[in-house]
Amino acid sequence: MRTKILIVCMLMLALVITGCSSSTSSNENDSDKIVLKFLHKWPQPQYAPYFEEVVKEFESQNPDIKIKMEAIADEPIKDKLRVILGGSEVPDIMFSWSGEFARKFVRADAALDLTPYLEEDAAWKDSFIPASLQPFSSDGKNYGIPLRFNGKFFVYNKEIFDKHGLQAPKTWDEFLEVLDTLKEEGETPLMLGNESPWAAIHYLTGLNQKMVDQEVRMNDYNPRSGEFTDSGYVKAMEMLAELNEKGYFMDNVNSSSHDMVKQMFFAGKGAMFYVELEEFQDVENALKGNWGFFPMPSIADGNGSQNYITGAPDGFIVSSKTKHPKEAVEFLKFLTSKENSLKLVKDIGWPSPIEGATNPDTALKQVAEGVEYMKQAEGMAEWLDTDVHAKVADVYLSNIQLLLDGSKSPEEIIKEVQAVAKQVQSEVE
Amino acid sequence: MKETYRNGRTAFLFILPALLLILFIVFLPIVLNLYNSFFRWNSFEAGKTFVGFEYYVRLFKDPVFFTALKNNSLYAIISLICQVGGGIIIAAILEDKLIRRFQPFFRTVFFIPSVISIAVVGLMWQLIYNPEIGLVNGVLNVIGQSEWAHSWLGDSKTAIYAVVAVSQWQYTGYMTMLFLIAMQKIPMEYYEAAMIDGASKINSFFHITLPQIKEMILVGSVITVIGAFKVFDEVYVMTFGGPGRSTEVLGTMLYRSAFRNDEMGYASTIGTIIFIITLTLSLIQMKLGKSGQEVE
Repeated sequence: MRTKILIVCMLMLALVITGCSSSTSSNENDSDKIVLKFLHKWPQPQYAPYFEEVVKEFESQNPDIKIKMEAIADEPIKDKLRVILGGSEVPDIMFSWSGEFARKFVRADAALDLTPYLEEDAAWKDSFIPASLQPFSSDGKNYGIPLRFNGKFFVYNKEIFDKHGLQAPKTWDEFLEVLDTLKEEGETPLMLGNESPWAAIHYLTGLNQKMVDQEVRMNDYNPRSGEFTDSGYVKAMEMLAELNEKGYFMDNVNSSSHDMVKQMFFAGKGAMFYVELEEFQDVENALKGNWGFFPMPSIADGNGSQNYITGAPDGFIVSSKTKHPKEAVEFLKFLTSKENSLKLVKDIGWPSPIEGATNPDTALKQVAEGVEYMKQAEGMAEWLDTDVHAKVADVYLSNIQLLLDGSKSPEEIIKEVQAVAKQVQSEVE
Repeated sequence: MKETYRNGRTAFLFILPALLLILFIVFLPIVLNLYNSFFRWNSFEAGKTFVGFEYYVRLFKDPVFFTALKNNSLYAIISLICQVGGGIIIAAILEDKLIRRFQPFFRTVFFIPSVISIAVVGLMWQLIYNPEIGLVNGVLNVIGQSEWAHSWLGDSKTAIYAVVAVSQWQYTGYMTMLFLIAMQKIPMEYYEAAMIDGASKINSFFHITLPQIKEMILVGSVITVIGAFKVFDEVYVMTFGGPGRSTEVLGTMLYRSAFRNDEMGYASTIGTIIFIITLTLSLIQMKLGKSGQEVE
């Protein structure tokens, strides 16, 4: 009996020791190399290999640096980023959306100021399309490096359009006519997968930008001065609700996911779908030339500039607590080098923010065209849910589903937005 | 007296490790959480700002809080009726002499849902509830009741009931198992005596089975109610509080405040309230349970 107890105790002790030691041994192995932790948001099998290849190439070119890479998908990373930043093993380089999303990390002193590194290497700085660096800046300083330069466009099924003699609309009124014709002819005019409400928020992003004067809007989106009293915000929601009331959207938008609806569109259901440039490759793979695209049409009585494109860069920030800032920046330079940007465009079909990387030779003709649209635009309307304070975004996100099923009016929603904006004003320093 | 004292000392030393563990793992976090609820802070910023009871005041003025309370209460009531009540009835049926042969089969079938991971259950039921390709609307169409077909998870009026239903599907079998075990401990002599006296099956159920499994009913009820107020996973996977906030529960409200709205202080406040609610309800239930025992 005694030996049995002894054996059991020793086994348990062994377990405990193994548990403790495995966390320390990983540190000992890499103490002679510089280890960079790299977090990105693309674990999917069509994107992950690109990063694995780039990391391998960087490691072979820099034998004294080792990169520990981790990938967390879009929806979970929204939560995990916040927790990871508060933990003890903060990644040196991590994914972030631009706009207010990145700015809140800047305010919390969690992001490294990259301006000196950009100033020091003018060639690197100039290689970026200026509009792609701007959304990552705060108070004139740069905090993020873009990897992708995304724009939002309506893609349409050419076959359906040709069948009814339709053309890509340039104004909102033309757009409504096209939608009406499609509906009369029994087609599903607009596909929308709003189970995760960012999908409809992207519509509202463009509508807000086109309806509200730019200065007023930028003032409202700033957490320190947000008021949202302009009637343009209500009108924007009314226009979105109108699309639904007139039956232009497909049925059950709130219980269909964006990915599922994408498959339905690829299968030929529905005439139009609002997607990002990064999805153009998938569209081409499925519809093979049987498609075209156009930006959100201009609105005649809107107070905002009609020459803006809805879109934003997304990319990486460097942790302010990193022990190896120079090496982290080296990796970012490598990731955004002309060579790797061309590879990005060729392998995955994403729009790169590097000048000249996205051209008809490397990319899909439509992606190159899309990037040209964005370069020629006066400015970018960044995603509403990343451009306002998280709490304001939360109010918009939760209410947009109710707007689309008719259970809440734009007036009620804007009242909630105004109330939260006031709260936020008093809380942000 | 001296002997008890000496034994007392040793006894105390024996329970000390477990006591310390519970203190640090259970009680300390509860106290820390209460402390944290008086500050404004978030997960990635250093430093806290003292705000006193501001979050508590805000919570009680927040309409979403009351929606969440209503949803949690709905959860608790429906779970009590379905899981505890239904569980007892199913267990009694399975214990019945006629069905007892098939008991192992039914036990397994009813129990399997509770061992499936919640993420899988949530995704599966999302598909089942899908208005276009899901099973529920499909069946309704086939039996000719297509007016009843809804966008179950997309309609703010039906969403919470749809989510609650999934939990019932998952855990009724678990409760049934607990009650079966309790019922199998009841000596057969009671039933035989009752049969001789001419009692019907239903009579024996109410007068022998139920009183004998009283403790298990109490345990089952306490678990179910606490679970209903702590519920998070099912709602998070299927609707995350949507559409709008119609399926918001205290758990998702806490998560959203902490990890989307960057308000850890508010989340700590919600956490403290959840603790107070579950503690109060458990104490009430135990009091009610005890009063039954004294009568015996």
